[in-house]
Amino acid sequence: DWEVQYQQDTPVAPRFDVNAPDLYIPAMAFITYVLVAGLALGTQDRFSPDLLGLQASSALAWLTLEVVAILLSLYLVTVNTDLTTIDLVAFLGYKYVGMIGGVLMGLLFGKIGYYLVLGWCCVAIFVFMIRTLRLKILAEAAAEGVPVRGARNQLRMYLTMAVAAAQPLLMYWLTFHLVR
Amino acid sequence: MSNLAQFDSDFYQSNFTIDNQEHSGDDSNAYGNLYGSRKQQAGEQPQPASFVPSEMLMSPGYAGQFFQPASNSDYYSQSPYLDSFDEEPPLLEELGIHFDHIWQKTWTVLNPMKPADGSIMNETDLTGPIVFCVALGATLLLAGKVQFGYVYGMSAIGCLVIHALLNLMSSSGVSYGCVASVLDYCLLPMVILSGCAMFFSLQGTFGTVSSLVIVGWCSLSASKIFTAALHMEGQQLLVAYPCALLYGLFALLTIL
Repeated sequence: DWEVQYQQDTPVAPRFDVNAPDLYIPAMAFITYVLVAGLALGTQDRFSPDLLGLQASSALAWLTLEVVAILLSLYLVTVNTDLTTIDLVAFLGYKYVGMIGGVLMGLLFGKIGYYLVLGWCCVAIFVFMIRTLRLKILAEAAAEGVPVRGARNQLRMYLTMAVAAAQPLLMYWLTFHLVR
Repeated sequence: MSNLAQFDSDFYQSNFTIDNQEHSGDDSNAYGNLYGSRKQQAGEQPQPASFVPSEMLMSPGYAGQFFQPASNSDYYSQSPYLDSFDEEPPLLEELGIHFDHIWQKTWTVLNPMKPADGSIMNETDLTGPIVFCVALGATLLLAGKVQFGYVYGMSAIGCLVIHALLNLMSSSGVSYGCVASVLDYCLLPMVILSGCAMFFSLQGTFGTVSSLVIVGWCSLSASKIFTAALHMEGQQLLVAYPCALLYGLFALLTIL
């Protein structure tokens, strides 16, 4: 069950509901990613303090680009969802957890460990995004439980798949240069 | 707190008689009465100056210093009335620097197992924190890395982020000065780490392990003080993690 519980029309706080999106995990994961990137660069003797700022800015820029792209495509497809921008930022921030795991394994066990853990986290985030976005974007179809074949729903399904597929790509793109 | 109530009631008293003055002068053992009578002196017309010096010189002044900012500002504004050199408070008292409090907070940080007293963070004291930041920069300098700017910048941005986070997480808000004060006090173990970095390189396994221990120590102290001061039960780990990230950034600066 992946639904968010509601309490008189407002979502329940993350303290009480496992499925409610919270911004603590993405924010902490983002900063941990910058830290781990600094650590990884340091073990390869490529570290300097301004690189931390550089990594942080570039990761933030990619995140902003993702959010803007998804909002734009939602607008173009004319989907009426209750997916707010903050919710979207929260969902897109969850992939940093997988990135951190991959880089740490890459530091400890080399490239094999990195690819294994990153592969697992990519699959996990793919499944997570599909199930979560399906509830938000394909609200009527998900309520019935059966994917309805119609042009509108098909377009929405493609959009969900595209967003979910972009996550593993970005995870790889933002971490492969850290593991040598 | 009864002293503070007496403070207020004495200050707002309209019919100020000689009887009250002498009565409060009798029990000069109580610190609050000491400051209360002095405030009465300063708040009303210029009373006979002879009454003031004897009590002033007897001031032990520890608990009374909790109310230091208010009494000092009033006292300073009334200085034309009492312009004898002997009657001015000591310079440190006037500036609001209390070495006792600084020591107490430093021992709280250095001893992470001791439960923290939440009320010590009510006063925003930035003297100790600035000293520790400069000490960190100085030890980094002695180790060969001129990174003062990064220390100050990361300290400021980290304080800002943790201030925002704590305001969102706690039921009662915090001020920026309180957050900056606590975070920079807990920077003391990091100064110890960078002191070690002067003597041997921290790039190996020993360096990593010791830096992890120091980061854990710093963030444990900081989160202990925050959870005690803000009454957030069960959230110490949640507060400790962002603090650990911040101190991890400092550790990165120190090691690499």
